[in-house]
Amino acid sequence: CTLRCFVSFLLVFGKAIHAIARISDEFCFDPLEKGLALRSVNSSRSAYAYIFFSSMFFQHYCWTAVSQPCQKEKQLSLPCKLFIKSVLPVFRCVNVLERNVEKCSIYTNTNEHHITFQLLCRNGVIKTYNLTFQECDPLQAVFAKHMCPNILKVHSRLLADIMIHFPTSQEEVTLSVTPVKVCFRSYAEEDADFSKTMLTEIQLNPDEFDYFQVGVDSEVTFCLKELRGLLAFSEATHGPVSIHFDVSGRPVAFSIEDMVLEASFILATLSDIDNGTASQEPLCCSRILERPRQNENEHNTEPAAPASPVAKRNMCNSGNIFKDLEGTAMPETDGQAVLEAESRESQYHKVRTLPSFMLYYRTFQFLFFGAVSPKKDAISHTSHSLATASDTEEDFGNMQSSQV
Amino acid sequence: MRFRAKVVDLACLNNFSRVVNTIARLAKTCTLRLTADKLYFILCDKVANGGVSMWCELCQGNFFDEFQMEGVAVDHNEIYLELTPENLSRALKTAQSAKAVKIKLTNKHCPCLKVSVELPSLSSSSRIVTHDIPVKVIPRRLWNDFREPRVPDFDVSIYLPALKTMKSVVERMKNLSHSIVIEANLNGEMNLKIETDLVSVTTHFKNLGNPPWASEDGCQSSAQDRDLESMAEARIDIKKLQQLLAGQQVNPTKALCNIVSKRIVHFILLHEDVSLQYFIPALA
Repeated sequence: CTLRCFVSFLLVFGKAIHAIARISDEFCFDPLEKGLALRSVNSSRSAYAYIFFSSMFFQHYCWTAVSQPCQKEKQLSLPCKLFIKSVLPVFRCVNVLERNVEKCSIYTNTNEHHITFQLLCRNGVIKTYNLTFQECDPLQAVFAKHMCPNILKVHSRLLADIMIHFPTSQEEVTLSVTPVKVCFRSYAEEDADFSKTMLTEIQLNPDEFDYFQVGVDSEVTFCLKELRGLLAFSEATHGPVSIHFDVSGRPVAFSIEDMVLEASFILATLSDIDNGTASQEPLCCSRILERPRQNENEHNTEPAAPASPVAKRNMCNSGNIFKDLEGTAMPETDGQAVLEAESRESQYHKVRTLPSFMLYYRTFQFLFFGAVSPKKDAISHTSHSLATASDTEEDFGNMQSSQV
Repeated sequence: MRFRAKVVDLACLNNFSRVVNTIARLAKTCTLRLTADKLYFILCDKVANGGVSMWCELCQGNFFDEFQMEGVAVDHNEIYLELTPENLSRALKTAQSAKAVKIKLTNKHCPCLKVSVELPSLSSSSRIVTHDIPVKVIPRRLWNDFREPRVPDFDVSIYLPALKTMKSVVERMKNLSHSIVIEANLNGEMNLKIETDLVSVTTHFKNLGNPPWASEDGCQSSAQDRDLESMAEARIDIKKLQQLLAGQQVNPTKALCNIVSKRIVHFILLHEDVSLQYFIPALA
């Protein structure tokens, strides 16, 4: 598959790589029929980044999948895992890149396990970077943004203006909202030495936000360092940033969406300690569990079916999550483990909470020059149905949620 | 013990920020002394500082629109606080377009200087940024450590060359050597010298002029009997000199140094509303 980028958007693409670099040392490079997806998860599974460039973002976008071959050739599954350190040099000095580069093309060479980035620069200079990739199990987080009671939408410039007040060394910040007030403040752990730490707090009026909805007063604490990448990216796209969140412990999603791209950073938030279960780990939330590889002959992607509702107030004890779920796995999806966040019980009915992060395996695809034969079923990533609130366990087929 | 101050004028705020930035480059922690009329940033010559000491004096009226303080006692109407100037510098850094900045001494979990910055915003009400800077209150019994240093009995006093020039010379020399020799005479000549096994470099400055110092008893000080050409010199840590020069963001009205041969170099930088004295001891 050859993907060619518009040079005028090279800045955006480069900033996307830099943003993802804040999350992890490696990322998932996932060419799809509709566009190119970049995904990354940090080592503690508390931050997930997803940036999707639709095919319209590119000057030329050609993606092909191959149908199931009859002969037993060695097949490489994509998406590919790339090391950030290999890719960053391609997009070093992003701000200058646009001036010097006339064309940037990206193509994969599955036979040689290469992804090639080629920059056609001024004066006839051609820089070619052949990056080896590894196969990886695709990672996808699902977060039902529309279920969040609190939604803020703010211009990227404003968000940058707020975060600039925090020192670059500030790890975590707390976002605190009520219907009349918004406050960002630096977070210091309970045992921090207050006589040494400087604390910063910014108070804003809801008027400053393009959209302001607060369904429940909440305070969510998340990692600012990981977010900074998205902030820089948002300034390049000039788009507004949406913040979807709930109460403490539930993840917070920062997302950008426009005609040609979509980005989401989902960060775990500190859980409320007064549930009684203190956590040793600084950031905890639902953890992503990697789903073991499915049978290779299976083409149809299956949504990870949630097991029976597991009531967990505080996921910080997630060290035992495997054990808890083993016994409740659905028989037909053997070997999968699904993570569920806390289950909230409402007055009216037992609402199974959304698994905040779910992983599922997509059919392998690989890309060839030439024949275009997309097998729609095989790449039905868009049809993954995700658990949403439901009365009963059986309602899996009907559940839809926003895809991240 | 109470303290509150407010700055509304942007120019004053920028001036104050510049002073704080300079201090932040010279000292990691220092003492802030507050009196009814003045603020002082003081660093006393402990071994931990490498023997350098600093005395910076500002008239509060030149910077603050409101300034109220109540010291520890009526007859000791002063407050001494130990703080990290970098924190204050950082708090003021993002206040460049502020409508107002308030500073207040508070004691919630621990004593803090609370810096409140009121910023213009798109909405009807302002955006408020608050920084809580932890400080330590210095008890009265230790106040003697922070007395104003006396001008030493120098051998030569000379005006410094243009700080920008001096800074670039010293910065280049810093790459070659750890120590630098400053020598000057009463004929307006100054040399900056470094000497290593591989190389020795000397930069000569002429026609600098020597400031007239009246001695205390009214008659010519003994320094005037000195041979005009004779150089007084001191070898000092080059990094300390570089920090002093690099921290100057605005050209001072007057800049001079007093050299006590082989003992200490005393720098005096005077601006319109702030004076800075910096002592660098000679290396053994």
